[in-house]
Amino acid sequence: MRRTDRKQMEDQRKDTNDSERLLKENLELGKRYDNSIKYIRTKVNQLLTVMGTSPLRPEELDDATLLEIDPIGIISESFVQILRHLHQTNEKLKITNEEIQAIFDSAGTGILVIDKDLRILAYNRSIKEQFFPDKPEMLGEPCFTSICNFEDPHVSCPFIKVFETGRRFHQMHWVLAERHYDVMATPVRDDQGEISRVVLVYMDITDRIRADEALRKSEERYRDLFENANDLIQSVGPDGSILYVNQAWHEALGYSRDEVPDLSIFDIIHPDCDGCSDEFKSVVYGEKAGRLETTFITKGGDKINVEGNINSIIEQGRFCGTRGIFRDITERKKAEMLIASEREQLAVTLRSIGDGVITTDTNARVVLMNRVAEHLTGWRQSEAEGIPITEIFRIINEKTRGCCENPVEGTLKRGKVAEISAPAILIAKDGSEMLISNSVAPIMDKNSVVIGTVLVFRDITGTRKMEEKILKAEKIESLGVLAGGIAHDFNNLLNAILGNVDLALLSSRQGDEIHESLIRAEKATLRARDLTRQLLTFSKGGAPIKKASSITEIIKDSADFASRGSNVKCEFLFPGDLWKVEIDEGQISQVINNLVLNAVQAMPGGGTIRIGAENTALGESEIPQLNQGNYVKITIRDTGAGIPKEDLSRIFEPYFTTKHTGSGLGLATAYSILRSHNGIIDVESSTGAGATFYLYLPALLGAPETAVKAAPPSTNSNGNAKILLMDDDGLIRVTASDMLKRLGYQVELAADGEEAIRLYREAKDTDEPFDAVIMDLTVPGGMGGAEAVKKLIEIDPEVKAIVSSGYSSDAIMANYKQYGFAGVLAKPYKRKDLGEALQNIIAKQGS
Amino acid sequence: MVDKIEFDICGQICPSTLLIALKEINTHSQRIRDGAVKLSFKTDNRDAVVTIPESASNMGYTVHVAKEDGCYLIEISG
Repeated sequence: MRRTDRKQMEDQRKDTNDSERLLKENLELGKRYDNSIKYIRTKVNQLLTVMGTSPLRPEELDDATLLEIDPIGIISESFVQILRHLHQTNEKLKITNEEIQAIFDSAGTGILVIDKDLRILAYNRSIKEQFFPDKPEMLGEPCFTSICNFEDPHVSCPFIKVFETGRRFHQMHWVLAERHYDVMATPVRDDQGEISRVVLVYMDITDRIRADEALRKSEERYRDLFENANDLIQSVGPDGSILYVNQAWHEALGYSRDEVPDLSIFDIIHPDCDGCSDEFKSVVYGEKAGRLETTFITKGGDKINVEGNINSIIEQGRFCGTRGIFRDITERKKAEMLIASEREQLAVTLRSIGDGVITTDTNARVVLMNRVAEHLTGWRQSEAEGIPITEIFRIINEKTRGCCENPVEGTLKRGKVAEISAPAILIAKDGSEMLISNSVAPIMDKNSVVIGTVLVFRDITGTRKMEEKILKAEKIESLGVLAGGIAHDFNNLLNAILGNVDLALLSSRQGDEIHESLIRAEKATLRARDLTRQLLTFSKGGAPIKKASSITEIIKDSADFASRGSNVKCEFLFPGDLWKVEIDEGQISQVINNLVLNAVQAMPGGGTIRIGAENTALGESEIPQLNQGNYVKITIRDTGAGIPKEDLSRIFEPYFTTKHTGSGLGLATAYSILRSHNGIIDVESSTGAGATFYLYLPALLGAPETAVKAAPPSTNSNGNAKILLMDDDGLIRVTASDMLKRLGYQVELAADGEEAIRLYREAKDTDEPFDAVIMDLTVPGGMGGAEAVKKLIEIDPEVKAIVSSGYSSDAIMANYKQYGFAGVLAKPYKRKDLGEALQNIIAKQGS
Repeated sequence: MVDKIEFDICGQICPSTLLIALKEINTHSQRIRDGAVKLSFKTDNRDAVVTIPESASNMGYTVHVAKEDGCYLIEISG
């Protein structure tokens, strides 16, 4: 065989072998393919089942489509995503678990997990801290020992029941180891539905319980305060309705609890309280709040004064009403009114006190001063308040002018009850000085603790001067009494001298030397008589012995007498028809004398005093002090320094004088004398313009002075009229007896009243009774004329008695008729005076 | 704006419906998770209302099933 053939044969065999092999391999491969397909289908179905869906049905996908679709690839990729998602979910779960654990541990409430055997499966930090803080690990331990501290489970343990019932259990208040818990037990079931564990949540409510307890106690306290408060507490709604009130409110206003809901605030505001309702409304409307004083009216109609605070209740920005707390101040109001009244009374009293009053505190600082104190110190209350008393009340010693202890400080230092200090000189704010007396008393409270002082002081400058003048006046009065006594005796002597001179003149011939000597002696005696009368008027100042007189002569004589020896000249201007006046010549003479003397002293450089008199008829109220009628107006005008305006109203006051040597009695006496004559004295003056004094004396109507001049009595015109003369002075008896005999009278003499009465009675029973009796007013050691005349009137109601006395200013002499006398005869008298006096009463008898 | 790709697989039954849905979900998985697209499958196979949502949920997708005109619309989003 050829190689080719062999080769072909070999090739053919080889091909056959290859075919067989390939066929075999093909069969093998087909088998494998089928197996692979089968495998794939199996796995695809497994995967589909895992995915939760139904497996592939044989007819559903042919093999080629199956391979083309590649379900495994699809599902595998889905698995990858599922696994990735699971992984992510696990991660989240892990985090969540950690978070839950953190929450579990950090929860404020205790969480405990127990199993059916009540053994602890889990617990959080709060449980450990609350129940077993010192134990390391309690897992597996029974909860009844760990939590409840029991050896065995309690038969009524509620958590056992949770396992039994499967229901959640809530123990709202459980006390363990003196702490309070709110416990929630929640069963947890396993996948078999069995309750395998219970989760217990312990909420510690101790603080809440204690807070509730504290709140309850606090509320109790507040309620106690509210209900037992003495003040009235009320809450009022926006419409005025009363929401709630306390017990004190009920008691004060008399409304019961049931009545309150029907009340309005306007029911209890007193209708007489002006503006109270408006004030309340203003609070309601938020316009006003705070302190309020008002008046309530009780159910019974009584009035209650209250004060308190009221404010708005605002909740969530909305006005819900008011709350008010009031205090019954009715009693206090009454007390305040009383105090105010007392204060007013005190203020009025203080104002009315004529003394200065200053009160101080215990530091001697001024608290209060009245108006007089302000006036005296020159400090006003507003300035002085709080200032030390030593600055306000500055005093120095009266005599040494040295410092002296302030009496307030002294009283505070010594704590004496009262102290009257010696007079001192107070230096006022403006530096002026005045003599004051003062006294200080401590002000004490009810416990006798000194809380200040009261200083009372007064200006005694005037009083001191007054005292000095009174002293002087007393001296003058003593002198006056002495002078009066002397004047009486002197008058008796003068009477004897004058009478004897008068008698001697009868025995002398006119033109003889002795006659002229006797005339001069008589004039001197008459002047001595006038002086004596002035002395008497000065000393006694008594009632005037008025008689119709020639005013011009009295003025001239007195003015000349007063100006004698000075360089002042008196000029007189009197009309010829000047009316007669009824005056006490001695007193009017004294007035003229004083006025002229003042005028002379006002003109130390000399000058002229012009004195005039005129008739004047005054209408009604022309001069207020004088009645309507006719007056003689005497004018005395000087050209001296004049009287300052401020002194004009005071110059007639007793003891007012601007002269260092004056008694201050001259013008006062003049005033007094003019008033006792129903006249007045007035003055016009200004500084530097001289002074003019006006004297008004009532005139005797229609009796011009010149017309009443009595004719000289006839010395022997009395026939044998019989006169009884009584005088204790023998010299007078003798002289007067001679004078009467010279006048043609029969005379009998008596030394006292008793003798005169006896003689009069004896003569009355005879044919020759006495026609007139002249009796001395006073008889030392015996019955005087005043008493004797009463007896004589008893004997003879028609008795004509003349009273005679050297006390020419005696009241009996001035008002002799009231005492039963028919006439008056002042000693010393001349024969002419004696004759006129007798002629007047005997003539009346005759007529 | 989220694109919506709708697939009408009515007439198909399980497991085809599931495999089709899974394949499309896999194809668009990233865009679905990014929120760029959501898939909507319309099916009349009731079983698919269970299998597709369960699988998609396990894969971490949000599934919303609604019934519309006698069919079910299963909407897959990220």
